[in-house]
Amino acid sequence: MSSLFQYDPDIGYRFVPHLKVRVATSDGGYLLRTNALGFRNDREFETRSSARRILVFGDSFTAGDNVSNGQRYSDHLDQALAPVEVHNFGLPGSGTDQHSIIWNKFAKGADAEVVVIAVLVENIRRIVSAYRPSVGDDGSTEFIAKPYFQLQGETLVRFNDPVPRERVTGETLEAEAKVDRGGRFPELRKLVKTLGLQGVVQQLTRYQPTPEYDDPRDPAWRLMRAILLSWRSQIPQPVVLMPIPLYQHVEQTADPAAYRARFSELAAEGAFILHDPLDDLLANDAQIRRGFRFKTDVHLTPAGHRAIADSLLRTLGPLLAGARSDP
Amino acid sequence: MSEPYILGVSGLYHDSAAALISGAEIVAAAQEERFTRKKHDRRFPANAINYCLSEAFIEPSQLDIVAYYDNPALTLDRALRNFAAVAPRGREPFKAAMRSILDEKFRIEKSFEAALGEARPLWYVDHHLSHAASAFYPSPFEEAAILTVDGVGEHATLTIGHGKGRDIELLREIRYPHSLGLLYSAITQYCGFKVNSGEYKLMGLAPYGEPRFARAMLDHLIHVKDDGSFALDLSYFAFMDEAVMSGPKLHALFGAPPRTAESRIDLFHMDIAASVQQVTEIIMLKLAAEAARLTGSRNLTMAGGVALNCVANGKILRSGLVDGFWIQPAAGDAGGALGAALYAAHMGLELPRQVPANGRDAQRGSYLGPAYSSAQVRAFLDREGYAYTHIPDRAERSAAVAKALDAGKVVGLLSGRMEFGPRSLGARSILADPRGAQMQSKVNLKVKYRESFRPFAPAVLHDRVGDYFELEGESPYMLLVAPVREDIRQPFDMADFRKGVADMIPAVNKVRSTLPAITHVDYSARVQTVHPDDQPDFHAILAAFDALTGCPVLVNTSFNVRGEPIVNTPEDAYRCFMRTEIETLVLEDCILEKAEQPVSEDDDAWKQEFELD
Repeated sequence: MSSLFQYDPDIGYRFVPHLKVRVATSDGGYLLRTNALGFRNDREFETRSSARRILVFGDSFTAGDNVSNGQRYSDHLDQALAPVEVHNFGLPGSGTDQHSIIWNKFAKGADAEVVVIAVLVENIRRIVSAYRPSVGDDGSTEFIAKPYFQLQGETLVRFNDPVPRERVTGETLEAEAKVDRGGRFPELRKLVKTLGLQGVVQQLTRYQPTPEYDDPRDPAWRLMRAILLSWRSQIPQPVVLMPIPLYQHVEQTADPAAYRARFSELAAEGAFILHDPLDDLLANDAQIRRGFRFKTDVHLTPAGHRAIADSLLRTLGPLLAGARSDP
Repeated sequence: MSEPYILGVSGLYHDSAAALISGAEIVAAAQEERFTRKKHDRRFPANAINYCLSEAFIEPSQLDIVAYYDNPALTLDRALRNFAAVAPRGREPFKAAMRSILDEKFRIEKSFEAALGEARPLWYVDHHLSHAASAFYPSPFEEAAILTVDGVGEHATLTIGHGKGRDIELLREIRYPHSLGLLYSAITQYCGFKVNSGEYKLMGLAPYGEPRFARAMLDHLIHVKDDGSFALDLSYFAFMDEAVMSGPKLHALFGAPPRTAESRIDLFHMDIAASVQQVTEIIMLKLAAEAARLTGSRNLTMAGGVALNCVANGKILRSGLVDGFWIQPAAGDAGGALGAALYAAHMGLELPRQVPANGRDAQRGSYLGPAYSSAQVRAFLDREGYAYTHIPDRAERSAAVAKALDAGKVVGLLSGRMEFGPRSLGARSILADPRGAQMQSKVNLKVKYRESFRPFAPAVLHDRVGDYFELEGESPYMLLVAPVREDIRQPFDMADFRKGVADMIPAVNKVRSTLPAITHVDYSARVQTVHPDDQPDFHAILAAFDALTGCPVLVNTSFNVRGEPIVNTPEDAYRCFMRTEIETLVLEDCILEKAEQPVSEDDDAWKQEFELD
């Protein structure tokens, strides 16, 4: 299939506009539709609108990899909160740094009542990366540049601006280049996954996928905090900050305490409305929770999206009601 | 209530495909080979199914019926009977047939489930009923005779039927092993070409020869009655018990062993080709007459692999036997996918059938495959850093393409939805100026890397066809061969060719008309008429070429090299462009020039990628 993405000098890439395709997967496939801006949104987005709107930013868990348009948490919210419109700006494979750039490029100054920033917990690794691995046409691994920030003192400085268009192969990638390889111990994880022992090994080793949250002074967390605070300072609307847990947290093989503490502190510091869906997800029994991700893919299933939507509604419902009753 | 969605599927023999209809309207259809890049791919068409769902933008749960174009139980019965007739010989072909039937066809429900992610109601439609449905339902006729002719279905190899409204009734059949399709394939293989793909070459070779073996064929190989029915003398054939199709007795009859693939083609093979072509035409004309007699209809519709024999089709058209004539563009097994779906809709669900009011057919130009938007094309070109000029205005773009063609350039064109069926009709085409004497050789040898003798088809503005060809009405699917008009012909004596020990290049390069590149050695041409409603971009290019040169005709050949499936995506098209001497590439509204592209790192190793046909 022709690629779903096009180069974007600011974000790195985004969906090709006006796509309407079924993406085949090992589980069958899913329907993907994009709007004129190149986001998986059944509606077009204009800056000015008389409609009540919620704008949602995030990565593939928000864009809805492996799940059809109409079945993602943003779609459930859209249906539940109608006539309020929920606009999905999710971009697969991206980090919170790119989400802030998306907001800046497409939604800054736009009419909206609420902005939702969904941070998949492992985004903390993506924001310190300058490249993301991707599979090339010939099956080889190539690396796609992304924009990224560095903290110089307390100042965020943007790099890869514009984002280099050229993809880089493993041989030509500079040794010191920062690459998000999807977690710690990439080669070992690959082997364990191949052997189908991922769950067992993670449980036995008490694998903690994101130690960057353990210490508030960790450089990665400091960068995440700075990006979110900077972004928050530019958004006039209420902002809901939703950390999306990893499946290890949902299935209770990893301890979520550290990341929850960090986001909790940040919410208090930056006037975010924190919505942490983990407790709602954990209220389901283990078998149901396993059904929140695919058999061979960590992304949210339609059931997972439904659960996130139901949880998020508890925050958004009153927030919208409050906004309406404001003079 | 919304219209039911029906998915039709063919495959697990050759030319796997999927088609989707909504109610009785054709939504999408595509062959699996276009996605997998394996010509005549026989595997379960998971990619084509995915495309069909994509085109309709529906979930598998929205499919009301899945229809498969074959009845595996009857196919098993035929295989068992065949083995019983030849045992203990024929064990290897029997084992292969059993593997296919038991491991694949009987487990096809599992394949559907894997492709769709869930089980859907599965209907089986007999092979020739599928062909018949593909011929009649999309045709522009309220009622018509139906003729289906191929190698073999479950038992039938040929049927004559009658279609009226939404009803189809099969009236007569000829059963395996007596098969016109298998006769043609056996001779195809005897002449060194591949079965189920080389038949076109044999047909293209025929005009170079003389039918001096036709009498022997009719006396020995196939006994034909006045009503068109026939019986093969099986002692000349080996297909029942061996992997090869012709037997020693047939070789003795012609006095020569089978030709080895890629060896020299000489006059003998041309004469064999001419002979089997003549035999085929004799039988097809008799069958057309019998179909008219049986049904009382002056309309004829056709499908099955033999219906792709456009020379025979042209003779039926000019015979006066029919007033209305329509052939399913995907006449081979791929079209069975569409037929199975349509049969399920009309005969299964009893959905009404409406013939288009404009007098045209319901096949929509057969542009039923995937399209790629300008945004997708530009995303690809930008990502790869390929140089291009973006010309959104159709008139401006067409003028630029016409100018390139007039300058003698060969142009690759990817525009709109891909064709369903084996012919390129301007959506995935290679175009050239037909006026040049060397163009046929150039495109055959330097672009397509195929045999020099193979003719090219002309595409002509639909309202100008009479200026160049002896053809009345439309031929939108390139399924009719017609003579070029006498007033544009130039003298050409085939006797010189035969005296010249059949060196084809001089004959091919000899000017036979004012449009030498599309005039075959017998002054025939496989015509495509182009209507603006069907393919506006292609029509605009023809019109622009006409405006520039006064010639409303272009060479139109499939966008591929020998052995490669026709290109599907912009990526496929670019790859083919860079590997051949195509000089200009049109990808939707972007034009690329070879000279401006980065140097390709491909060497000739890619030629091993595609198995020669």
